[in-house]
Amino acid sequence: MQSKIKVIPTTLKVKDLPPTAISMSNMLFNKTGSWRNYKPVYDEKLPPCNATCPSGEKIQGYLYLVKNNKFAEAWQLIKQDNPLPAVCGRVCFHPCEVECNRNDYDESVGIHNVERLIGDYGLRHNLRVKIGIKKKQQIAIIGGGPAGISAAYHLARMGYKPTIFEAERQLGGMLQYGIPSYRLPKNILQKEINSIIKMGVKVKTGMRVGKNLFIEELAKKYHAVLIATGAYKERNLDIPGEEARGVIGALDFLHEANLPRRQAGSGKKPTISKDVVIIGGGNAAMDAARSALRMGAHPKVIYRRTRNEMPAIPDEIRDTEEEKIDFIFLAAPVKVITKNNKTVALECIRMKLGSADSSGRRKPIPVKGSNFRIKTGTIIKAIGESPETSFIPASLLKDNLVCTDKWGMTAQNNIFAAGDAVTGPKTVVEAIGAGKRSAQAIDKYVRTGKVTHTEIPEVKPVRFEQLNTAYFEHAPRVSMPHLEFKQRVKSTKEVYLGYKPNEAITESDRCFSCGVCNFCDNCWVFCPDMAVIKKKNKYEFNYDYCKGCGICASECPHNVISLVEEKK
Amino acid sequence: MKEVTTGNHAVSYGAMLSRAQVIAAYPITPQTQIVELLSNFCATGKLKAKFLKVESEHSVMAASIGASLAGARAFTATSGQGLALMHEMIHWAANGRLPIVMADVNRSMAPGWSIWTDQNDSLSQRDTGWIQLYCESSQEVTDSIIQGFKIAEKVYLPVMVILDAFVLSHTSEVIDLPDIKLVDKYLPPFKARDMMDMKNPRAFGGLVTPDFNFELKYKIQEAMNQTIPVAKWADREFKRILGRSYGIIEAYKCEKADTILVTSGTITSTSRYVINQLHAQGKKNVGILKIRMFRPFPAKEVVAVLSKAKKVAVIDRNIGYGVGGIFCQEVKAAFGNEKKHPEFFNFITGIGGRDVTPKDIQGIIDYTETHKKPKEDIIWVGLRK
Amino acid sequence: MRNEIPLEENLNSGHLACPGCGGSLSMRLALKALGRKTYLVLTACCWSIIDGPFPYSAVKIPLMHTAFETAGSAASGIRAALDILGKKDITVMAWAGDGGTFDIGIQALSGAAERNEDFIYSCYDNEAYMNTGIQRSSGTPWGAWTTTTPESKGEQKKKIMEIMAAHRIPYAATLSPAYPEDFIRKYKKAKSIKGTKFMHILSPCPPGWKTSSEQSMKLSRMAVESGVFPLYEIENGTKYTLNNPTADFKIKPINEYISMQGRFRHLNKEQIKFMQENVTSEWQRLLRKLKYA
Ligand SMILES: Cc1cc2nc3c(=O)[nH]c(=O)nc-3n(C[C@H](O)[C@H](O)[C@H](O)COP(=O)(O)OP(=O)(O)OC[C@H]3O[C@@H](n4cnc5c(N)ncnc54)[C@H](O)[C@@H]3O)c2cc1C
Ligand SMILES: Cc1ncc(C[n+]2csc(CCOP(=O)(O)OP(=O)(O)O)c2C)c(N)n1
Ligand code: SF4
Ligand SMILES: [Mg+2]
Repeated sequence: MQSKIKVIPTTLKVKDLPPTAISMSNMLFNKTGSWRNYKPVYDEKLPPCNATCPSGEKIQGYLYLVKNNKFAEAWQLIKQDNPLPAVCGRVCFHPCEVECNRNDYDESVGIHNVERLIGDYGLRHNLRVKIGIKKKQQIAIIGGGPAGISAAYHLARMGYKPTIFEAERQLGGMLQYGIPSYRLPKNILQKEINSIIKMGVKVKTGMRVGKNLFIEELAKKYHAVLIATGAYKERNLDIPGEEARGVIGALDFLHEANLPRRQAGSGKKPTISKDVVIIGGGNAAMDAARSALRMGAHPKVIYRRTRNEMPAIPDEIRDTEEEKIDFIFLAAPVKVITKNNKTVALECIRMKLGSADSSGRRKPIPVKGSNFRIKTGTIIKAIGESPETSFIPASLLKDNLVCTDKWGMTAQNNIFAAGDAVTGPKTVVEAIGAGKRSAQAIDKYVRTGKVTHTEIPEVKPVRFEQLNTAYFEHAPRVSMPHLEFKQRVKSTKEVYLGYKPNEAITESDRCFSCGVCNFCDNCWVFCPDMAVIKKKNKYEFNYDYCKGCGICASECPHNVISLVEEKK
Repeated sequence: MKEVTTGNHAVSYGAMLSRAQVIAAYPITPQTQIVELLSNFCATGKLKAKFLKVESEHSVMAASIGASLAGARAFTATSGQGLALMHEMIHWAANGRLPIVMADVNRSMAPGWSIWTDQNDSLSQRDTGWIQLYCESSQEVTDSIIQGFKIAEKVYLPVMVILDAFVLSHTSEVIDLPDIKLVDKYLPPFKARDMMDMKNPRAFGGLVTPDFNFELKYKIQEAMNQTIPVAKWADREFKRILGRSYGIIEAYKCEKADTILVTSGTITSTSRYVINQLHAQGKKNVGILKIRMFRPFPAKEVVAVLSKAKKVAVIDRNIGYGVGGIFCQEVKAAFGNEKKHPEFFNFITGIGGRDVTPKDIQGIIDYTETHKKPKEDIIWVGLRK
Repeated sequence: MRNEIPLEENLNSGHLACPGCGGSLSMRLALKALGRKTYLVLTACCWSIIDGPFPYSAVKIPLMHTAFETAGSAASGIRAALDILGKKDITVMAWAGDGGTFDIGIQALSGAAERNEDFIYSCYDNEAYMNTGIQRSSGTPWGAWTTTTPESKGEQKKKIMEIMAAHRIPYAATLSPAYPEDFIRKYKKAKSIKGTKFMHILSPCPPGWKTSSEQSMKLSRMAVESGVFPLYEIENGTKYTLNNPTADFKIKPINEYISMQGRFRHLNKEQIKFMQENVTSEWQRLLRKLKYA
């Protein structure tokens, strides 16, 4: 009587009726769905973190898994998009956190820190990703930085066995030779790279393309070629005295400083004076300053503009400041003062900020007659890099960058490019994203001979105002344990120590799950009409009975339910 | 077992012997003694029942309805104002087809305040769907309560057992208290209809649209029709097991009567006394028709008795204002489609507890015999004009 | 996941409540907490329609419709019968509106409470006689429009919880469907206590409050957060426990709650201020009771 539809005819005869008004059936015959003017639909939307991640990570997804103590699943999910979570969990500039809706409530979710824990978990437990059906096409990747590694990884996942040609002795690009180990320990990088190599990636190190091996050659031998050679040519100061001894490039400095002793070209760490001066405001400048500090120096950083305009990632600037490194803002070098071709001082000029330039930052203008000198034995130049393009056919270049379409295809069909070589100096995660996209494009190309450009419609991510925050509790972000200043100066040990699993769970639980159902049960629990059916991994509307009151939509904390007008 | 008891205590005994399971009650003179003795029975364990001392008669009936619906044998008693307060729930009980038995000690309605007898309180409830039994003696009261349950639980209609205030309720008589084992034999435990079964739960009393209400109301009338044979059967069974019977009406010494008095309640006893004397004197042309069951009204039975008479004197201890005695209306109506009918005389007497004496009855007989037709529609007996 | 909410449904779809009716959701939650072994007593109110007309019924438990003013007495009768028949494991729940509770049914309720009858009395309070088309009751708040207060209600809402506390019944609680865990917990607690339990549920009513249906839970929540309808429990009429989710005994201003409802649309700033003062002083009274309990 309770779960079946049974209609009692109004034509029942006296003898068939009960003695008084005693019910004979339930109300299920009464399909109240016909009352509806608006119809709720489950309509998952894009969380802003996912929308912002250059490598397209499903951030909300892995936070949900971590919250539910499913670290292995979280690792698998992250690895669908990013081959290097342990690396990115350390060096990424995490634009996701900037866009995180939780910023409007209290503090953004510590996505970066959780990512690191997931990456480390995968390494610690030797997790593997599934590899697709074997594909026979040969693919050459030039350059084993994040862009090249990412492409190789994604191709390997699809079943290819790509070959990486790397000029250096180690893979990793800037991760290996640029970013210092107190930020990214070499063993972590190595483990993550090794796990990718194990997937069937062939690696040829010490092979500089353009020397004995040429792109055109590769393009003939291989079904497709990817240029992922980065941007490591350092810009010059173009001031008198620049050639003197004691003036070095940041990348060279970091390269040397980053090498384990036995590998370093000279066999020992680069020597710098205690009063070393670093010129620039980017990541390379910060890393150079902090590396110098760890070598016992008292570095000074000179930057043309102010702190606000510094291009380095904010975390790095903060850490550099925490390490009490001196900054001289609004000053530009004009001359290296030398003695016996040896640097003794740097002459600078004061600057002031004018109107905005093409990068949107205010242009520094020299203040006449404000020259001053800083005593120093070593000057580290860190004023920017650009790709080395001499080995690349001119037809593929534009403005000294490799020119590609959105999918990474150059003017020559089977030659693709990704990473800093295409964009100029950018970031690790962008290089990874570009590597992923070009892998997908290459896959399509080698299988079909062309890359179809399906326009992905622009989806607006869910914004804070669209959420129902009544169900969220205020909770401070779980802080990241780290070394104190004293411990940092003495060693090149990693500064940040990482979350413990329970901390990651707590932090992941702060995620609002913007636009994505996280099975909070609200729609089910608040339905006055039992029209939300709770299934194992989803909810369904029972439109037979849903009256369209809309409570589910307004009580969904995540803006997953939309109301659409019922056409009658 | 013989027992000297008042009409009120006779009610309590009847309920106790019927093994009522839930008793909800609220005190009102002249009913209070019923409640008092019943609560004593419950307190001493003589009766295993839940006694609900609720805060009003309205609640009395609501609680009784709840109890009956949930499967208990429910009993209560009230009077006058209390019955009137119950009115809404009186309908609920009958429309809900719940076999509740209630004693009503007739009490005149206020204002001004009265605690004395007349039948206007119970007769105001005549169209609610309750079966009504009017009693003339304490013995009949006890027996009618027991019979009441027998009938109610058969036809699923509630039963009101009615007795006069003071004249019966507070007057002691010797009665033969039935043996409870025999009562148990007569009245097995109440088995509620399975309508409130937990395994097959249903809703009771919801909204009824015109699609069904007509039929459901018809069923109440159908049950009323059944009640006459069922009540006769219940009475016969009572006779078989407990040795007494009353009939739904009683024609007393009507064999040679050309004048018949129609009576109810204790006026019957008084009339019996007068008729017995007349018959002893050899005057055998006057008899009595006692109406015990007023609802359903046993019209066929009444006509069968009265159609032999030339004159019928209906004695009403009640009045339907603007019409006349209510019993008289019903008796006349019973003859509605008959070709021939006796001459009807409507006497109204005893209202508000005024004593009705053998002299009054003799006066009624005299008036009837000396008049070919009544001079007035209503003949007021004992009125100081 | 709301793990404390039982999966069991004892109310069927297809019932006749208006879209967004707080009263229907409240019934659903209450029946989840109480389970199948529950006997429901329903007085005249929206719910006598919601359950569906004969020969149908939306609830999956036995249900007795009864007269408007008889929730307390009819439930007493059922309880008595079940007890005498040895069915002590069945919970009896009376369910009535504010009209059936604050007004016409208060006598039977008071009687039952004084006798400490063993059942749960639920009052779903939609703050007017809704079934008959939005007439004022003594549960209608000051300032509200109804068809019988066409200007504005001039009297304050009756303090039913204090009345019930004065009966010293073992348990009385205020509940809101917007807080389902609290709601379920209170019903389970009520079920475990012998004697009369009084549950006062504020139930938004879109047609009666002139609100849009999807706002019902938001309104419920705001009533609680603003102290218009604080969540608390009273044990034995004296021991008060506050369950309001508001931190540090702070309440939010009533303005948004008021402005969302058409029935308050005519109120001016002064009048809203007056309402706010009332809410604040009642809230402080409640806090004092907590302290002295
Ligand atoms: C000091 C420093 C710190 C940085 N810190 C951060 C940071 O914290 N977070 C962040 O997101 N980004 C940071 N960046 C930027 C980031 O490292 C780069 O954007 C990223 O590494 C670009 O990746 P890629 O693969 O395009 O190029 P690269 O990492 O430069 O890799 C290119 C690879 O190609 C190889 N190669 C070059 N030419 C040839 C050739 N002809 N034949 C074969 N192999 C060749 C190189 O040896 C190298 O291994 C930093 C950059 C620097 C310089
Ligand atoms: C004795 C009696 N008087 C009046 C009515 C008409 N009536 C039925 S429901 C109702 C209002 C119910 O109001 P409330 O108890 O607040 O419940 P709601 O309809 O608001 O849910 C009224 C006045 C009735 N059924 N019985
Ligand atoms: S009128 Fe109000 S209380 Fe009644 S069913 Fe509709 S929403 Fe619910
Ligand atoms: Mg109401």
